[in-house]
Amino acid sequence: MAAPVNRKNVDKKAKYDRQLRLWGDHGQALLENAKICLINASATGTEILKNLILPGIGSFTIIDGNKVKGEDVGNNFFLTQDSIGKSRAQVATELLLELNNDVTGNAVEESPEQILENNPEYLKSFTIVIVTSLVERTLLDLSSILYAADIPLLVCRSYGMIGYMRLVVKEHTVIESQPDNAHEDLRLDKPLAGLVEYAHSLDLEAMTKQEHMHTPYLVLLYKFLEKWKEMHNGQVPKNYKEKTSFKDLLRSGIRKNEHGVPEDEENFDEAIMAVNTALNPSKIPSEVQGIIDDPACTNLSSESSSFWIMAQALKQFIANEGNGMLPLRGAIPDMTADSKRYIQLQNIYKEQARTDCIAVTSRVQQILTSLGKASDTIQDNEIKLFCKNSAFLRVIRCRSLTQEYSPDSAATQEISMNFENPDSEIYWYIMLRAADKFYSQYSYFPGTYDDQVDSDSVKLKSCVCSILQELTLGALPKEDYIQELCRYGACELHSVASFMGGVAAQEVIKIVTNQFVPFNNTYLYNAMTTTSATFQL
Amino acid sequence: MAASVRGILPDDTAEMVSACKVLVVGAGGIGCELLKNLVLTGFNDIVVIDLDTIDVSNLNRQFLFQKKHVGQSKSQVAKESALRFNPNVKIEAKHDSIMNPDYSVDFFRQFTLVMNALDNRAARNHVNRMCLAADIPLVESGTAGYLGQVTVIKKSVTECYECQPKPTQKTFPGCTIRNTPSEPVHCIVWAKHLYNQLFGEEDPDQDVSPDTADPEAAGDAGIAALEGKSNNVDAGGIARTSTREWAASTDYNSEKLFRKLFYDDIKYLLSMDKLWKKRAAPIPLNWDLLPPEEPSSTTNSNGDIKDQRIWDVRECVEKFTDSLAKLKKQYRDQGDLVWDKDDSASMDFVTAVANIRAQIFGIARKSRFKIKSMAGNIIPAIATTNAVIAGLIIMEALKILSGHLDTCKTVYLNKHPTARKKLLVPCFLDKPNPKCYVCSSKPEVTVQVNCATFTVKMLEEKVLKAYLGMVAPDVEVDDGKGTILISSDEGETEENNDKCLADFAIRHSSRLKADDFLQNYSLILNIDQCNIFDDDVDFKVVGEKPRPISETEATSSKVTEKGESSSQSTSQSSTVVDDEDDIMVVVDEGQETSVSKKRKLSEDDDTKSAKKSKVTSQTRNGDDDTLIIDP
Repeated sequence: MAAPVNRKNVDKKAKYDRQLRLWGDHGQALLENAKICLINASATGTEILKNLILPGIGSFTIIDGNKVKGEDVGNNFFLTQDSIGKSRAQVATELLLELNNDVTGNAVEESPEQILENNPEYLKSFTIVIVTSLVERTLLDLSSILYAADIPLLVCRSYGMIGYMRLVVKEHTVIESQPDNAHEDLRLDKPLAGLVEYAHSLDLEAMTKQEHMHTPYLVLLYKFLEKWKEMHNGQVPKNYKEKTSFKDLLRSGIRKNEHGVPEDEENFDEAIMAVNTALNPSKIPSEVQGIIDDPACTNLSSESSSFWIMAQALKQFIANEGNGMLPLRGAIPDMTADSKRYIQLQNIYKEQARTDCIAVTSRVQQILTSLGKASDTIQDNEIKLFCKNSAFLRVIRCRSLTQEYSPDSAATQEISMNFENPDSEIYWYIMLRAADKFYSQYSYFPGTYDDQVDSDSVKLKSCVCSILQELTLGALPKEDYIQELCRYGACELHSVASFMGGVAAQEVIKIVTNQFVPFNNTYLYNAMTTTSATFQL
Repeated sequence: MAASVRGILPDDTAEMVSACKVLVVGAGGIGCELLKNLVLTGFNDIVVIDLDTIDVSNLNRQFLFQKKHVGQSKSQVAKESALRFNPNVKIEAKHDSIMNPDYSVDFFRQFTLVMNALDNRAARNHVNRMCLAADIPLVESGTAGYLGQVTVIKKSVTECYECQPKPTQKTFPGCTIRNTPSEPVHCIVWAKHLYNQLFGEEDPDQDVSPDTADPEAAGDAGIAALEGKSNNVDAGGIARTSTREWAASTDYNSEKLFRKLFYDDIKYLLSMDKLWKKRAAPIPLNWDLLPPEEPSSTTNSNGDIKDQRIWDVRECVEKFTDSLAKLKKQYRDQGDLVWDKDDSASMDFVTAVANIRAQIFGIARKSRFKIKSMAGNIIPAIATTNAVIAGLIIMEALKILSGHLDTCKTVYLNKHPTARKKLLVPCFLDKPNPKCYVCSSKPEVTVQVNCATFTVKMLEEKVLKAYLGMVAPDVEVDDGKGTILISSDEGETEENNDKCLADFAIRHSSRLKADDFLQNYSLILNIDQCNIFDDDVDFKVVGEKPRPISETEATSSKVTEKGESSSQSTSQSSTVVDDEDDIMVVVDEGQETSVSKKRKLSEDDDTKSAKKSKVTSQTRNGDDDTLIIDP
């Protein structure tokens, strides 16, 4: 009878069904193994955690030395009126745990400063650290420890109507970047031997009407391309004009009925439609070229990650078996065809992809051995995934906060470039930096006390000026920014926190699942204008 | 409460927030987030309505619900959970459909603001009309996977939800699938559910037996009918055990399965007679008396194009038997199966089952090839997108309350970077489409039908309810005599149902006046006689204006197509300033796609990427992209 079913897994599958469709079982497994640390259970902080606990991270830890205050309860869904005076870490942890029984969580009732002082090693045990409402000095200390330890750090903040997010990760490698506009990997400009042989075995002229109209368009493209090449010195159509005449050539292949009227042949329509994309020359994308030329790839050591070992194997493959090409992806698009010929065609591509993958695998094994590692250190399915996605590999390297904050290495050019646009969100970056400077001088944020707004705005203005000076920038386009920021009084607006919680959690999921490309490196959201932008700072 | 808001919002707006009464329609993905945001922004008086109950697959994002709540009312549990976190707010929960006639225009008038958090087109259309009728501002929203959208609708100021045509919807209510399929895709979805019930992971949401809780059947069909029937079945007690256990107990005997699924269950459906008052009743298929083999013109001896040929019923039954045996073996060897369109037995099974069911319900059968492409696209759904969208809804709501409707925007959440690295694309709200068949002052549409074959019932179900979104229409022929064609009062015009339009002297250029009193909505239908339609359609709603009278019916479709496009371009020229307007496609949580041309807010143009979103949101399985903020 039927194999016994693991009840818990069935439940999980049902619960996570809608998201498994986005990142798959392997992405979910990584998520379920992730240990997430949140520093400070602010509204933004708990909103981020909520969005990570629901899809099922492994565990979370909240580090927060604060007690719950009245104003916390007003904007934080995970703190209650009766919890005022209790540990914020403790209360938020308890309420957040109710969201998902498969997630474990614990509270550390210590300030981040204490942790940094007494036990900085503790922070290195997490998959990623998320920080909200941390003073600048502590943030810089924390980030340099994590940066050195290669632990990703996400800084997130809701300040009045402004949202801010900064990713700090030394290096993040992505195999499944999942671009949504990828072309098919058909290699019509360098046809597979199998395709050539197969296409020659088919004679369009001799086919019955049914066979003719169900010949896969890939075969049609190949055959007419051969014809075209004969007429054009072996060249394939390259520009718009040539592609247009190539389409006409294809159109001439449509059979006509006894009255000379062209038959309705969908496969030809598909072939004509595919001309624009299917004839793109097969080449190595510049990002991938950059990866195989990267020193991390060319100078492997026993410390090198699987990604770079596989990248080295890929480089060798391209130079040898691949004849300058990436391993074949092996999938063909759906097309009007009879099953028999579609499957034959599919098998040709699958088989080549398999052969390529075997070649890469044996190179991976050689490299592993030469590095003194067991040749099965990297699993076959991982190599297969790597080959299949070899055109989409990505590496993200974010600058450190130290680099960003010290005037010598600040991204002045990026900032001044954006200064040219008077509506740029970059001004809010300057304002937030100024608010932090204000805080470091006066130990409160501008506008916190209603009766000091006017004097605060004068002080804030001087903070803005000194930041602008540090970055050798001109003045702000309008004074309004200063008044506006004072008005915010550093308060967290729940709907901004909710927005940032969604965006930030999504970035965490990208990092944890190693899928999709995270932002690099600063994101600003303006709730007044509902606009947002990214900057590399 | 929400002290922080007071500092940031002008005092009078903050006052409005705490004094106003708002309606949240839907307590699902967006609804949960929205309810939380409302409470924490200082809203004090909230009514939330949802007819749904909680399902396991909601728990990955609808955070007000927990495992223990599965099966309970969404609105009720959402209210209780939100109150537990913040007891000082007044929340009223209604476990009901917003389309229930109890929720009249007067009901809507008690609110300052209505916020939609819905998952289906029908309800969106309805709320749109109710808000127009009550002249209450509406914040409309939707999410799908990583995509989302928020917009504001205000009578006479902005476009309404129906100002631009929307493509047809792709998800279906459970009772449509289980009781009243009317399209091939309904049968395909049912077939996949059956597959999972028998061999896959059992999902209580994918029940394939008749749904006795169908609100339309109003439960009067009588359980007795079922009991009586199932006692006659030799397996006995079908209703008591799960479909899989029962199937296993028969050793997946294809004849027994067939008798239950396609005879007994259909008989039972027939006993729910309310369902068939205005619909063609299904015809149970008898295993021993299958329709004769159809001489097929497209069969060719090589069998080369077998995928594109439509199997006749006998062939479907053969395939059903064969694939059942294969799947039984696979299931015994490897446990739970996952439906895969590329697995031959799985695909055969779904094709055969879908077509047998289609036959029973008088729906066109489809080729295996077509079914493969139609089968299965569930729109993914995650917490993060809903959180983002709910945050944006509040921002728009605050702008409305502060009297700054002019600053409200339609905001699109992209899933990939735009050329300018923008995640959010805000667009100006468009002016109402003066030719909108809903919100213009004297709305009219042109309906192409063949009056000689199109029945009154088809007019009511397919055109007025399904396509034009009316709930309880009254229709009168504008013939000087005021002939009543359809009355919303039960039983009054039932005898007209099966008559054709021509029987009422309705012909080309006839005008029908349709009224929906609940929606406070009336519409003139201009009839355009047309004899030739594309596959699978028997009517077409085209441009707003009636086409000029033409003698040649055969060319009518071309003429109106031209008319349609020209009317569209006029309606757009009033709102679109530059030529570089983008085409945005955003899919709602309920798999609904809306295409509209929008004027971008900023001058910078992300034309390329916006267009990309159109391509990618169509039908991609499992390899969706994410909120990539930076390439």
